[in-house]
Amino acid sequence: MDQFLQQLVNGLSIGVIYALMAVGYSLVYSIMNFSNFAHGSVIMLGAYFGFYALTKLGVPFYVAFFIAAMATATIAVILERLAYKPLRDRRAPFLYFIITAMGASIFIDNSVIATIGPTPKTFPTELLPTFFQGDPLEWGALTVGRVDIAIFLVAATCLALLMIFIDFTKLGKAIQATAYNMKASALMGINPNFVIILVFAIGGGLAGMAGVLYGMKYQVFPQMSAITLKSFIAAVFGGLGSLPGALLGSVLLALIETFVSGYLSTQYRDLFAFIILIGMLVVRPSGIMGKDAEDKA
Amino acid sequence: MGMEYIQGIAILIGINLIAVLGLSILTGFTGLFSFGHGGFMAIGAYISAIVSTRLGLPAPIAFPAAILAGALAAGLVSVFIGKLTLNLKGDYFCIATMGFGEATRVILNNVDYVGGARGWANLPQFTTWWIVLVLDVAIVLLAWNIINSRHGRNMVAVREEELAAQMAGVNTFRSKMTALIVSAALAGIAGALMANYIQFIRPTMFNMAKSTDLTIMVIFGGLGSISGSIVGTILLVSLPEVFRNFAQWRLVIYGLAVIIIMVGRPQGIMGGVEMTPAGIRKIFAARRAKAKLEAELKAAEQGDAA
Amino acid sequence: MRKLLCGTLMAAAALSLNAQSVKIGWFGPETGDSALWGQAELATVQMMAEDYNAKGGITVGGKKYKVEIVAYDDKGDSVEAVNVTKRLISQDKVVAIVGAQGSGEAIPVAPIVNEAKIPLVCSTATNPKVTVNDNGSINAFVFRACFTDPYQGKVAAYFANQKLGKKKAAIFMTIDDPYSTGLSQFFKESFEKLGGKVVAEVSYTSGEKDFRAPLTKIKAANPDVIFIPAYYNDVALAAKQARELGIKTLLLGGDGWPSDNLISLAGKSLEGCLFVNHLDFDGAAAKPMRDEYKKKYNKNAELNSYMVHDALAMVVDAMQRAKSVEPVAIQKALTTCDLQGITGHIKIGPNHDPVGKEAWLIKIVGPDMKFQEKFAAKD
Repeated sequence: MDQFLQQLVNGLSIGVIYALMAVGYSLVYSIMNFSNFAHGSVIMLGAYFGFYALTKLGVPFYVAFFIAAMATATIAVILERLAYKPLRDRRAPFLYFIITAMGASIFIDNSVIATIGPTPKTFPTELLPTFFQGDPLEWGALTVGRVDIAIFLVAATCLALLMIFIDFTKLGKAIQATAYNMKASALMGINPNFVIILVFAIGGGLAGMAGVLYGMKYQVFPQMSAITLKSFIAAVFGGLGSLPGALLGSVLLALIETFVSGYLSTQYRDLFAFIILIGMLVVRPSGIMGKDAEDKA
Repeated sequence: MGMEYIQGIAILIGINLIAVLGLSILTGFTGLFSFGHGGFMAIGAYISAIVSTRLGLPAPIAFPAAILAGALAAGLVSVFIGKLTLNLKGDYFCIATMGFGEATRVILNNVDYVGGARGWANLPQFTTWWIVLVLDVAIVLLAWNIINSRHGRNMVAVREEELAAQMAGVNTFRSKMTALIVSAALAGIAGALMANYIQFIRPTMFNMAKSTDLTIMVIFGGLGSISGSIVGTILLVSLPEVFRNFAQWRLVIYGLAVIIIMVGRPQGIMGGVEMTPAGIRKIFAARRAKAKLEAELKAAEQGDAA
Repeated sequence: MRKLLCGTLMAAAALSLNAQSVKIGWFGPETGDSALWGQAELATVQMMAEDYNAKGGITVGGKKYKVEIVAYDDKGDSVEAVNVTKRLISQDKVVAIVGAQGSGEAIPVAPIVNEAKIPLVCSTATNPKVTVNDNGSINAFVFRACFTDPYQGKVAAYFANQKLGKKKAAIFMTIDDPYSTGLSQFFKESFEKLGGKVVAEVSYTSGEKDFRAPLTKIKAANPDVIFIPAYYNDVALAAKQARELGIKTLLLGGDGWPSDNLISLAGKSLEGCLFVNHLDFDGAAAKPMRDEYKKKYNKNAELNSYMVHDALAMVVDAMQRAKSVEPVAIQKALTTCDLQGITGHIKIGPNHDPVGKEAWLIKIVGPDMKFQEKFAAKD
């Protein structure tokens, strides 16, 4: 029973990270209807920004966190303006977007490798707030890392704020409207360009935060974008385009993965993730909570 | 210049070209983006290795049988994948192929019979410069024929506007499936040839990096151009040799180049035109027409001014 | 007078002609995940070549030769390794090759060097298959400067069971890395032969960063030592996460651990843990090279630096004993190599592997790695 509870905690702590990554990705998808494969690279940049802000600029942790989020939000918007907008203006086939996203991802990842280097870095514990410097918290046989608690709190807060923003503010409603039908919303006076920039900024900011938290939990390294494949799967699993779906899918995927590797074997963990993915796509492509897949005419 | 070294590069170009041509048909002409063709190459490589070493066939039969087996196996798996995913939107197909590529690698890592993660060494050296050349010519002709047939035109129709194509009576699912099977089989052949050239196979040789490498070759040459794919492959396999000093920046430049190509000139190097007599004539005709139009405009302006 | 001038000129010309050069190839991962080690090796061989040439070159059979290193990046990729080896052999016409630090790159290259009859001395490729094939045949032109995984596993098991008195071991390995699985397999065999019990054998896939699930499994099995035959970045992660899960057990490792970055990545979680290494970084034998490297590059030398140093030393030694720079002669001399390198006594055995090479047990104390003891297995 002890092991079960511990594995449950393990799963949840990963799930929350997947959720932060998946939500940003899903948000962009809901508006643009394409998968921004460069999302993973932006997450990675967030981790590096946070790391360097903390170690080189010497600012306190909260400031570094904020800087990272702002930096990635900006980069996401720049990426949109330079790479995706021209394609949108030309009404390019959807294939081009994916290829461009892939190109951007390769460019960003390898720029980091070529300049900073492929060796991983770690957030030095002395520079983090004192909360993180103690031993992990224990309840009986259950241990929870301090970083995990922080991640949980930050993620929960961000996601709650995001949901409130989307559901209850005017801007949020504008985003929902554009996601539903860009042309009609434009006719109603909502500036689609503005909404797109906003969405990329939010998505980028979330990515940056996810990157810093991930870097704190594990390490900071340029190949991070590969890990985000899991968050893509989580988003599809929960339903592309649905934010609660991204959250649900992330947690479920993480729990399934953890229990498979804890009770069966780690070898099958990735395999299970892919089987779930394919299975979901076959049985219910819209995911657990997604909108029904309309054909993109 | 070291002959064996140059031959080695030529063989690598030839092997990659086969996979790239397949991918060109799938992505360039049918508009489907795959992140997982490394997986089909892996299947081709491993099946061919089993056929050429474990079945005890005599040497002259072993190699052709191995290649054929590799192609068939890859094709069959692609039918399975295709049935599951081709009905879905493009995005889902991409993610599914990504999943397929990675899943193949994970499975192969765990199958000890084929060496698992350690890899399988001491495979026979069957691939020679001549075999690759002959196969390349044959496959280029095959690709050319497909593209210029009804099948090819249907594929392009699917790429351009799938809904309209369906309305026009094209069985879009069948077209996409054909493209997928052909591209998978070709990737399988490339994998088999690679196995018998390097004489060593390991699942990491066919990971997502390999899949994206192949796609980049298609993009550089230009979507929708066979000769473009040939040029793209030659460039991207040989340039790294020439620019060894800039190895670290190679991928940075590739990534940037992909963005610039897609945003600025998706037709790539060849400009969507084939390097055939008809194609070349088309280029010149277009240029002449443009020049003529400009001259007429100028004359009209001067006429107005006068 | 004119005769004297001519004579002097001719003698001078003869002397300058005499300083021929010998080309030795190197390949390794200058880019990619293992770039740290590849770059360290390259820096070392270049430094050694400069040292040799500053003294006028190496003396072989009475003649002096300048050492020219021809280096290529194999990107940590098997296909690329084959490519660059062909280039080294047919284009650059090297007489010997050193490096090939990864077994995954050394294995496919073996048939090529065998056929071309150019000797290859690997620095840290520890997989047995590098020199001995599945069918038992030996790769005539492949040698190595390091001990093999079976040996290393045996040493680790011996230390754990006999020296540290541990009876229950858990193994945490990278399932898709043959180095890791090979080392675990040999550790397990030896540990059980010595009377210990392996209570848990858990693995993770490379690239994975969260080990909590498998580590929780290990915690439940309650071992008194955990053997982690992996590379330093994963080891650091595993150690940190293990401590966070409340696992206080001693961690033991292999030669994938030593790196400048290991301790900075792991923080306090590796305090007091031990690993098997090819040499003692702080030892007297390594000191001259370590200091020179630090002075020249302002960085600490990595494990690979010392290993490739000995690999190159083996080649030069072979040339000098054979009194020839012909590849076949070099290969023949390598089979009888008996050299005291900076990483220990290298005596090449029938398998082209060093026989009875010492392994060193190193302990992590604070920010340092401290030598504990060394051990040389008899078989």
